[in-house]
Amino acid sequence: MTILLVLALLFYLAGAFYAIILFAAKAEKRNGHLKTLITVGFIVHSAAIAVDWWQLGHFPIVNPKEVSSLIAWAIVAYYLGMSLRYQARALPTFLLPLVFIFTLASLLIQTPDHPLPQVLEGAITASTVTQIIFPAHVILVILSYAAFVMTFVSGVMYLIQERDLKAKNIGGAFQLLPALNTCDEMGYRSLTIGFVLLTLGVATGIIWNNQRDGRYWHNDPKEVMALVTWLVYLFIIHYRLTAGWRGRRVALLSIFGFLVVLLTWLGARTLGGYHVFG
Amino acid sequence: MAIVLVGLSHKTAPVEVRERLAFSESRISSALEMIVDRQTVHESVLVSTCNRVEIIAASPRDMNAAETVSYLYRFLREFHQTDHDLIARHCYDYTDLAAVTHIFRVTSSLDSMVIGEPQITGQVKEAFQLAQEAQSVGHNLTRLMNRAFAVAKRVRNETGIGSSAVSISFVAVELARKVFEKLQGSTVMLVGAGEMAELAARHLLNYGAGRLLIANRTFENARRLADELGGEPVSFDDYEKRLPEADILLCSTGATSYIIHPDQIRRALGARRNRPMLLIDISVPRNIDPSIGSIDNVFVFDVDDLESIAESNRTERQREAERAEAIITAEAERFLISHAEGDLNAVIGALRKQAAEMAFAELERSRKRLGHLDQNQEEALETLVNAIVNRFTQPMIRKLRESEDGHSSILEAWKDFYNHDGRK
Repeated sequence: MTILLVLALLFYLAGAFYAIILFAAKAEKRNGHLKTLITVGFIVHSAAIAVDWWQLGHFPIVNPKEVSSLIAWAIVAYYLGMSLRYQARALPTFLLPLVFIFTLASLLIQTPDHPLPQVLEGAITASTVTQIIFPAHVILVILSYAAFVMTFVSGVMYLIQERDLKAKNIGGAFQLLPALNTCDEMGYRSLTIGFVLLTLGVATGIIWNNQRDGRYWHNDPKEVMALVTWLVYLFIIHYRLTAGWRGRRVALLSIFGFLVVLLTWLGARTLGGYHVFG
Repeated sequence: MAIVLVGLSHKTAPVEVRERLAFSESRISSALEMIVDRQTVHESVLVSTCNRVEIIAASPRDMNAAETVSYLYRFLREFHQTDHDLIARHCYDYTDLAAVTHIFRVTSSLDSMVIGEPQITGQVKEAFQLAQEAQSVGHNLTRLMNRAFAVAKRVRNETGIGSSAVSISFVAVELARKVFEKLQGSTVMLVGAGEMAELAARHLLNYGAGRLLIANRTFENARRLADELGGEPVSFDDYEKRLPEADILLCSTGATSYIIHPDQIRRALGARRNRPMLLIDISVPRNIDPSIGSIDNVFVFDVDDLESIAESNRTERQREAERAEAIITAEAERFLISHAEGDLNAVIGALRKQAAEMAFAELERSRKRLGHLDQNQEEALETLVNAIVNRFTQPMIRKLRESEDGHSSILEAWKDFYNHDGRK
């Protein structure tokens, strides 16, 4: 539903501007209005997705246009969840521009001529099990991406905050950044959530592969990249648990992990392979 | 209604004088009763804190402001039984725009000793409550004070005036919150018990720090301070063993060389599984090896760092204070304009009412001679009288509205004419 998505985009845009102004003015203002703005945008966005779902007759996750929108939606959903627990006033300043870009991308990307890639035709309409498995696969992976976006943003905030503290410069606009411990905790928590979701996402993908053509693994670029992503995050979790890695090192690794996510999501398209939708 | 203020503050009077002219809370309501004589002063609020005494009064517009000011000075003198000189030397007085601006500045903490300190707004609120209880405030000062609180809130929200620490010991708290967010559950360790470290430790405890360990060369001193602050004394030989427990380490011994070394901290970090540590060195010469600052998850600040942060925060506050002044100037002007409009509307209302009353009174007098009138005639007559009243008052009202300040010579003339100040 384009008009609803445009409306949501406008709310996100207004939110992004407001967040940046609040950040720059480093006012001690509570960001209640900002959160209302984001929540309204989120509700409108949800409605847009729901209407698409109803009109298409299947969950709108089959092409880049739909996936961009869903990723933006998932990031906002994740932010709203996190904001219940953390009072991180700087978060919207970093997240909303990303949300805006994904929403805008979704609006700008043309609906492909064949809205449903061939390989998916069965997945959307066939038996009940595959009907659940394929959407579950995509939704799990997208939700994990949203969690990894939060890990990435937390890592960036950590590094900025840490640099300022080490330089003994604690004034300026970065006063509003969350404390180091909060960045670290928020990032790691998102990382574990994202990891679990990605694990389930990959698992459902493998099951779906098998259902479709009896092969679990195709060595498709996207499959390989997904495995690399999974290993990177496993590596971080492992050293966090065994050697107590945290802070700067984890922040840097989280940022690296997110670059791998981006490569998986966007880069794998350019490398060919069948796994090109979304 | 004119607003007048007489007062003194830390800027104009030393503490002996402020003490002498202060009003204890128990005497405020009787003082207010004396101030509000319903002739010179209709409404009043009295603010008395350790840093200032301010008498805010609203007097009738036709009262000369200078008269009200000297009335308030006389009151201060008589109430406290002091001589004229003392008051003349240390007090200030403001009227109208200057008074409103001053009240807004005080309430927004721009006139405070430490600009931006938050207590003053609450103190003014309490003073206003006392005045409400004493029934010494009416509609004018209620509007003014509520506006002052709204302005204070705006200043706090829109500027960074109260957002940063301006003393060294508070900078320590600010740094701790930059690293740990909440201090609840964190452990503070003092090595050496200098005065400044003690002060910083007190602040940290006030902000929720859970545990305090105190190591000192003289164990007795450590124990005494630990008893006082509710901490745990640690023998000086043991402090290194306890180092891993410390989230925040405050160091202020008289040692002449470094006593905290990088490998100690690395070991402590290992034992803490890299949970971050904040090391604050308040000693001169320094006790913490500055090269520790390059270890990940450790943040080292010495006394110069703290001072320069405090200094830059002070500059920052000064800059924010300038933004706050701009807000206050605009708000004070806006308040006075709307206040004057309130005055003007009251006068216009009174003018209309009085003219209509006169006209209808005349109509009643002539009624006998008119004989019986039917409904239609009755209505026509009423329309006629109203039309004449409107025709007659309209040019005056237009002139009044054109004179923006609301108390032009026309207004004064009209007041004289009917011996009416427009509020009754």
